[in-house]
Amino acid sequence: MQSSLQIKNLQLFRQKEELLSLNEHVNGGDILTIMGPSGSGKSSLLNWLIGTLPTGFSARGEVFLNNNNISELPAHLRHIGVLYQDPLLFSHLSVAGNIAFAMPKGNKKLRLEKIDNALAQIGLAGMANRHPDNLSGGQQARVALLRMLLSEPKAILLDEPFSKLDAQLREDTRELVFSQIRTYKLPAIMVTHDNSDAHAANGKLVTLKTAV
Amino acid sequence: MTVASKIEPLVYKSIPPSRYSWFARIVKLSPQLLLTLLIIPVLAGLVFVLLPAFGWAPALDQTQLSFDGFIAISNTPGITHMIALSMFSGLVSTFIAFLITIMILAVFFTSSWLHTIERLLSPILVIPHAAAAIAVGFLIAPSGMISRLISPWLSQWEMAPNGIFPYDPYGISIIIGLTLKELPFLLLMALGVLAQPELGKKLRSQHKVALNLGYCPLTAFFKVVLPSLYPLMRLPILAVLAYASASVEMPLILGPNTPATLAVTIMQWFNDVDLNLRIQASAGAILQLIITCILLLIWLGGEKLCHVFFRDSLTNGVRDHGGAFWQKITVVITTFVISFILLSLVGLILWSFAGFWRFPNALPEQFVLLHYTQALMQMGDALFNTVFIGISATFLAIAITLLCLEAEQLDNKPLSRITSLIIYLPLLVPSIAFLFGLVWLQQLIAHQAAFFSVVFSHLLFVLPYVFLSLASSYRRLDPRFSQVAASLGAPPSKVFFQIKLPQLFAPILIAAALGLAISFGQYLPTLLASGGRVSTITTEAVALANGASRRTSAVYAIIQMVLPFIGFIIAWVLPKYFFKSARA
Repeated sequence: MQSSLQIKNLQLFRQKEELLSLNEHVNGGDILTIMGPSGSGKSSLLNWLIGTLPTGFSARGEVFLNNNNISELPAHLRHIGVLYQDPLLFSHLSVAGNIAFAMPKGNKKLRLEKIDNALAQIGLAGMANRHPDNLSGGQQARVALLRMLLSEPKAILLDEPFSKLDAQLREDTRELVFSQIRTYKLPAIMVTHDNSDAHAANGKLVTLKTAV
Repeated sequence: MTVASKIEPLVYKSIPPSRYSWFARIVKLSPQLLLTLLIIPVLAGLVFVLLPAFGWAPALDQTQLSFDGFIAISNTPGITHMIALSMFSGLVSTFIAFLITIMILAVFFTSSWLHTIERLLSPILVIPHAAAAIAVGFLIAPSGMISRLISPWLSQWEMAPNGIFPYDPYGISIIIGLTLKELPFLLLMALGVLAQPELGKKLRSQHKVALNLGYCPLTAFFKVVLPSLYPLMRLPILAVLAYASASVEMPLILGPNTPATLAVTIMQWFNDVDLNLRIQASAGAILQLIITCILLLIWLGGEKLCHVFFRDSLTNGVRDHGGAFWQKITVVITTFVISFILLSLVGLILWSFAGFWRFPNALPEQFVLLHYTQALMQMGDALFNTVFIGISATFLAIAITLLCLEAEQLDNKPLSRITSLIIYLPLLVPSIAFLFGLVWLQQLIAHQAAFFSVVFSHLLFVLPYVFLSLASSYRRLDPRFSQVAASLGAPPSKVFFQIKLPQLFAPILIAAALGLAISFGQYLPTLLASGGRVSTITTEAVALANGASRRTSAVYAIIQMVLPFIGFIIAWVLPKYFFKSARA
């Protein structure tokens, strides 16, 4: 069965004022790009999707992940992975610790092997015991990606994930993230300011307008 | 998209009650637990002081409503003097401490000296009142460091003179002691406010604007920064005032005896073998409560007056009110205060090692370890009690505080204003007023559990400080870490234990060290809740300060200071080895 993320009849409100309304269907491996000026509700949309809508905001509508309604589930049961513009690696854990935190429970040795293999695949072989703060920006971004992927998410949200990387790094990291999304056939939604991101995503583009 | 819009507190979608995990249940109950732990003892304590005060004390076969207690008080010789002494020393010490705090802030607002002063003064915060009182007493005594340093070349004294310090009838020694203890507290509270990222930045840039408009730095501070800063300092100031008006250790060690302050006298009545004096003591506790309230009202009234008086001068355009002059005065006062503190510590250390030490020599003739070996042999039990009670009370306080702060984030709404105010209740209600009632009550319910009672009563005073110390770090955690963890499938309990607690390791240890320091320093709660049966280093130090040898007293005061410092050193070292972040 093909995986999918579906937003049905969403209306997002800040206080009483409507921010946006949306009806979208994203298939596995596709990337829906959302662009729009500040204050158009991009962040709120992501927060709503992951179940952390702040007070002051309210929403009407439903979100279906693989045809299950997850609108009322708490954040940690939704299986939606998020990449932010900051890698947000946990400083008190090593690189391997960060990834292990995200992985499902299991045999310790197998988990470590899996981490090592995964690190090697993205060019970070031997970095498992390094401290995340000592990695370069690009390396941190890749660890964050790996952490998210190994948590076995069923959908992926990208919140301007490349905006803090410089041009060459940006392209490489973007290529890596997008290829993973396509490999695992996961539905993805990306919020961005950058036209080249949108172009590279090669999917549907939704442009939000500033709420009046 | 602004950063601010992203840093929103983490909200978990509302879950039907049946799906709450055990963790969520405990967390959601914790604010109520906190309130119960704080309100019930204070209220019950007050009730059980009120009842005997009006003659209802079945234990003494008194069940008739009467005003005998109050009548007995009004017939006590020197009662007006006692009240005046309490009010005078409380109000003046708080006012001076406040004034110096503000002057230091104003003069050093943009200078790197501010942090040097902060670093020099902050250790004073964790020195127990009793130890500070002993040190100050040594300094100003007729044969103390000050008179030794000026003798005989300046004073011509060959023998120790007949001075009035300490124990002077006007309470000046008390005021000196209280001021020195309160000043670091107020200063650190104010700096804590300025350290809030948003507010601090705003106030500093507003100050800069005023400078650009031609205001001298001092005037800029008073006209631009202080009006925003003061409301946030009000609660600590009132707590200091309430404490100062009813404190026991300082007047006991530094104050006059004929008569003593009201709080000290009440305590003596309560501890009298004649149990009938307890009626009078309870009435005294009510009187103390009224006096503290009056002082708080006087302070608030003074605020209003200042507001009316200075409102127009804020905008009168005067840009320099003798700034250069006040700047010099403040530098002199600050230097004086810091040298006074250093000198009293040096004196304390010298006394603890002193063998024979003739007046007016500035240094002892011989240094010996005898006082330490003797004292350490005697203090085994007291030391164990101090540490055990401190750790128990602090552990409970940290656990409750963390759960309450987590409840705040889980429910995505801050603790109610009432709750945040009640956390400071034990600091605002004079402890002498409700602790006695609590003791009556405890003797009714669980008169055997002296240890438990002491831990519990310490908790009342440890909790507010632990909460104060942890709350800002907890609330400042970047919520996106929790969001990431949740999106990786971690339930709230895992986020709490594996993400938030390790990230907060250092602040938790600092709060724990602070909690220990507060517990170590408690005199009245220990004495009362245990009925005198549990001795700690602090109760011993106070008992020794009046009478025993100055050298033994010095050793106890130093142990009192060393204990909290060990706590802070541990809190400083451990994060370097555990859960460390490479950046830190």
